[in-house]
Amino acid sequence: MKKIVLSGIMAVCSLSASAQSETTPGILWSASHHVEYSVSAGINLGGASPLPLPAEIRKIDSYSPNMNLSVSGSATKWLGPRKQWGVMLSASLGTRGMETGATVKSYSMEIIDGGGSLSGYWTGKVKTKYSSTILTIPVTAVYKLNRRVKFNFGPYVGFHIKGDFHGSVFDGYLRKDTPVGDKVEFTDGNEATYDFSDELRTFQWGWQGGVTWAAFKHLTVHGTLNWGMNDIFKSSFRTITFNMYPIYLNAGFGYAF
Amino acid sequence: MNYGKYLFIMACFAFLTGCIAEEAPNAEADILTATLADPSKLNREPIVENTQITYYINFNVDMETLAPEFTLSEGAVIEPPSGTVRDFSDNKAQIYTVTSQDGKWSKQYRVIALSPTMKFNKYSFNDVKLVKGGKVPYQQFYDAAGTDTLFWASGNSGYAIAAALMTPSMTSSADYPTYQVDEGLSGKCAALTTRITGKYGAMLGSPIAAGNLFLGTFAVDLSNTLLSTHFGIPFTQLPTYLTGYYKYTPGPTYYVKDKSVAAGMREVPGMVDTPSVYAVFYETTDEVQYLTGENVLSDDNKLIMATAILPADEKGPTDEWRQFHIPFTYRNDNIDFEKLVAGKYNIAIVFSSSADGDHFSGAPGSTLLIDEVTLGSVNPNDYK
Repeated sequence: MKKIVLSGIMAVCSLSASAQSETTPGILWSASHHVEYSVSAGINLGGASPLPLPAEIRKIDSYSPNMNLSVSGSATKWLGPRKQWGVMLSASLGTRGMETGATVKSYSMEIIDGGGSLSGYWTGKVKTKYSSTILTIPVTAVYKLNRRVKFNFGPYVGFHIKGDFHGSVFDGYLRKDTPVGDKVEFTDGNEATYDFSDELRTFQWGWQGGVTWAAFKHLTVHGTLNWGMNDIFKSSFRTITFNMYPIYLNAGFGYAF
Repeated sequence: MNYGKYLFIMACFAFLTGCIAEEAPNAEADILTATLADPSKLNREPIVENTQITYYINFNVDMETLAPEFTLSEGAVIEPPSGTVRDFSDNKAQIYTVTSQDGKWSKQYRVIALSPTMKFNKYSFNDVKLVKGGKVPYQQFYDAAGTDTLFWASGNSGYAIAAALMTPSMTSSADYPTYQVDEGLSGKCAALTTRITGKYGAMLGSPIAAGNLFLGTFAVDLSNTLLSTHFGIPFTQLPTYLTGYYKYTPGPTYYVKDKSVAAGMREVPGMVDTPSVYAVFYETTDEVQYLTGENVLSDDNKLIMATAILPADEKGPTDEWRQFHIPFTYRNDNIDFEKLVAGKYNIAIVFSSSADGDHFSGAPGSTLLIDEVTLGSVNPNDYK
């Protein structure tokens, strides 16, 4: 997956470098119909987080967004007599991820290994690694402030293609089944793993908004905030008792034809 | 860009950290420690388990008016309250209910007060009760006469936790390492089988679990499983011999614990498993209230008065019932008779399907059957 995204970025780079002044009949046609195209590449920074943080999470010990790349292409149709407003349809392929460490208290947990499982309430440290390869298709309204600056805002749908949500628990104890069940301690370097990768939801949606700045005639830089509106997990998944929403800032550059 | 990235990470971190919710009320409902309003009545520290508290009360104390006192999980409440005078005579169990600070969870504790001596000297392993744990309940052996009950301990509760992650999962109580079978010498008998604990057990450094049965308590300690076995219960007599019957079949392949390999254990070709059968008579102190898997058989423990250990040349496989008769060897004659009659000495009787099972070495499948055990003893007054 990373390879696809990386080659996408290379393509964007080479376009920006070599195709500065080239035009083709297709683009000329598009220009006459007030349709613009662009491609871009960027990095996704953010995470999947419950909102607000539930009381079970007592402390965030560490956080890393990891290196997550994305490529996208979009078409904008400009409307109205002054062509100041438009509609943009995009498709973006990329990865989202994060690594977190947290201290939790009475956090619903299920240690999974093969077919068996041990579930209950965990008090102690939790490490989580999340990554999702996702295709998002936003349809956004675009407003052209001036020749260089454009704002966009609108909904997106996303399709989780593959990914992981796994981690480990350590330095604490599990109360088996209920908070008053048998106490199973994991201390002195013992840890147990969990893996909820199969429980990640395929269909996602949310809102996104951003700004694009044309640094040169064809080269743009952008920042876009994606705010997921549904849980990253299937609704049938009950171990994590709160919803986790993917919230990501995509920052990068692009080429406008 | 890097600057921006780190600024962003710090912003996220600060944002999330700033959003930590107020701590929720505690959901746990544990009795953490137990004592009496008058602690001088205690023969030794009470044994606190997840749903049971066992007091040992000095002789000549009125058991009808004991006032147990408890410390609880933060914010939890107990009914009846700590300090209430209750009747514990005739081994009556009194029930206490602890409710968590958040009010959503409660747990019942069975509290008993025993006199510090074991009144049984014959063990037939005909009776078991079922204890909830894991996918299927496990069996606990007991002997009963009148209002007195002697419960045997085993590692089954620890195995229940490890086996929760095992595939295929257990389907019957006889899948535990310690269980009852019908084919005893007389009636039913105890069966101990060495089992593989699965990936979870291996992860915790306990790749196999020997079947074990002993006098004492089992408190799951996963960070050092040797400390889970608390061997010994109070005994006011001088033990003289341990006798009984056994059958033994070693498992086909012997393994030793080896954390460097994925399964957590390594095969030892040619090695044949042996059982262990022994009894240890020892003195308790304020600091040492029980012996554990780490020190129960140590040669230089000054507290150990006498041992009765099945000798190596009698440990061979047998599919016929074979009798053992082991006299106690006193290694320390310096017995404090006043302490002995006050219930400050312990007896531990231990059976295991793999002699090195406490160090997680043995042959999965090794099975030891035990029946009709007698502990011989003399009254210290007669001895004097």
